[in-house]
Amino acid sequence: MAVFKIGKVILRSLFKKPATLMYPIKPREWQERTRGHIEINEADCILCGICAKRCPTLAINVDKAARTWTIERMLCIQCGACAENCPKKCLLMKPDYTSPDVVKVTDTFNIPDAEKKTEKTSAGSGAAPVCDRETCIYCGICAKQCPCNAITVDRKEKTWEVDENVCISCGICVEKCPKNSLKID
Amino acid sequence: MSDKKYMVQEFVAVESATLLEYMKDIKAEGYRLAQICAMKKEGDIELIYSFDKDHLMKNIRVIVPENQEIESISDIYWYAFIYENEMHDLFGVKFRHLALDYGGNFFKVSEPTPWNPKE
Amino acid sequence: MGKRTIIPFGPQHPVLPEPVHLDLVIEDERVVEAIPSIGYIHRGLEKLVEKKEYTEMVYVIERICGICSFGHGWGYCAAVEGAMDIKVPERAEYLRTIWHELGRMHSHLLWLGLLADGFGFESLFMHCWRIRETVLDIFEETTGGRVIFSVCKVGGLRKDVDAKTLEKMSGLLNGIKKELQELTDVFLEDRSVKNRLCGVGVLSKEEAEELGAVGPMARASGVAQDMRMAGHGKYLELGFEPVVETDGDCYARCKVRLREVFQSIDLINKAIDEIPEGDIAVPVKGNVDGEFITRMEQPRGEAIYYAKGQGTKFLERMRVRTPTNANIPAMVKTLQGCDLADVPMLVLTIDPCISCTER
Repeated sequence: MAVFKIGKVILRSLFKKPATLMYPIKPREWQERTRGHIEINEADCILCGICAKRCPTLAINVDKAARTWTIERMLCIQCGACAENCPKKCLLMKPDYTSPDVVKVTDTFNIPDAEKKTEKTSAGSGAAPVCDRETCIYCGICAKQCPCNAITVDRKEKTWEVDENVCISCGICVEKCPKNSLKID
Repeated sequence: MSDKKYMVQEFVAVESATLLEYMKDIKAEGYRLAQICAMKKEGDIELIYSFDKDHLMKNIRVIVPENQEIESISDIYWYAFIYENEMHDLFGVKFRHLALDYGGNFFKVSEPTPWNPKE
Repeated sequence: MGKRTIIPFGPQHPVLPEPVHLDLVIEDERVVEAIPSIGYIHRGLEKLVEKKEYTEMVYVIERICGICSFGHGWGYCAAVEGAMDIKVPERAEYLRTIWHELGRMHSHLLWLGLLADGFGFESLFMHCWRIRETVLDIFEETTGGRVIFSVCKVGGLRKDVDAKTLEKMSGLLNGIKKELQELTDVFLEDRSVKNRLCGVGVLSKEEAEELGAVGPMARASGVAQDMRMAGHGKYLELGFEPVVETDGDCYARCKVRLREVFQSIDLINKAIDEIPEGDIAVPVKGNVDGEFITRMEQPRGEAIYYAKGQGTKFLERMRVRTPTNANIPAMVKTLQGCDLADVPMLVLTIDPCISCTER
């Protein structure tokens, strides 16, 4: 007949400091990998719109004409798909949460104009892709995946063309080609 | 290498007229009913009954035209009433001789048969 | 013969953990019959398959339930990988097993706390949840989220864990083991706890097989059924055996879950010793064609995942059958003949998760 078996645990916790945090009066210490909110590095963004396509809740909106990048904070589920798929790696996942509020917050960032192609410091080279006609099968996947519709492919006529003025060198066509026939130098 | 029992996929097609006989045979062999799944096709509803014994699975596929009634198996497996009531509320499948019939009130939905909407 | 009254045990009640509605027919404080009804939080998540591509559907399926979240993500990915015939690398399988066992630990610790709260022992409830906080901190350090992880994808995993973090995890788990040993004595030996749990809601072995019970509910009645023996993950390589008790009352179910927490700690330590180096994902191209049905052992029992593709980016049908759905008939049967004061204990012993049942 055992009674009050929890006595030892309770006596010990009388003399220890409390296990709870005085949040939000004392700020919380976040871990390194915590998925809190998304931030953008405006100087590197090329407005390709891939993040908007990959977002499962359609929280990101990219306006090419007005050169803005908008995110609705309350729709974002912090999955990290946009940060993984960004070709210039300008989206970052920061550890602190969006604070609760009474109105829905939408953040808009202005993307500065692109500098001259020779001064670009980010990883892209500014050149358009080149197609190897020996291995290309004219399937058209590169044309479908291009966010700027810069590539035209005709299967019957076996033609492949790229509009160099529209191309932003994001590199998606190179990644998606099933025969690895595209290259950006 | 371990024996991957979960990779075994066995699907058998059965007519709805001979369904009860098949169920009685399966119960005698010692199988346990695991789930019933409904899927909407053109003008028909396809039901998949899954059974399990010793961690091996066996699946039965039955195709029912939309407004036809089908025999309930709750005489043989009493706990099938949960799945059959859910399918009646969501897809509109009609069951005969249900052991515990909620008459459409099991799931509280705002419009009748939401997964099989009548245009 | 006394007078019969019907008491509605509604979706909202201070002692009820989940929004299920029971109509109890009672006669002088004994329950004669119980009729369940559900449907208060049906969200229709399976129908979203028509709008979200199969790579994005993981985020929806993970959010079916907060407690068994990793199991749902892994089950969906396993069903789609089976339909597309993809083989996941070894390191990914080991990491998935480790995260799944951590999920089982935190779910059982949550349940132990709720059980203690159910019979009024609030300080035991708080101590169980204090131990659970360590597990949630481990999750945040390795995956980035405390409850929803977003770390499983079709083809493998999205994040890797390095060896230093795994060593730290092992140390923290051994600390949990020591603290939990003290609380086990309270649950299993204390006289006031045993008065509430022993002999309540007995389910014999024949009844458990006849009613199709799954999970710890069936294992506490002597049925040795555990989907981890079916071969997914790395359980058979780590030498896993199901935990079985024979009494079939609430005390036996509590003992099964406590023993499973200790077994999970041992499995994780073994997996950390044996994990190989390598990739964590394979690239996935193309669409889903064909069907596949697979099963997982969630903390609450057996969950079935059925995926059917139709050759496009969208799946045709995704069906998740969760363990509470199969345990409700067993609960209805144990409620017949019990006292009115034992009804919350019996509803708690099946470990209900109504948001899983109604998706």
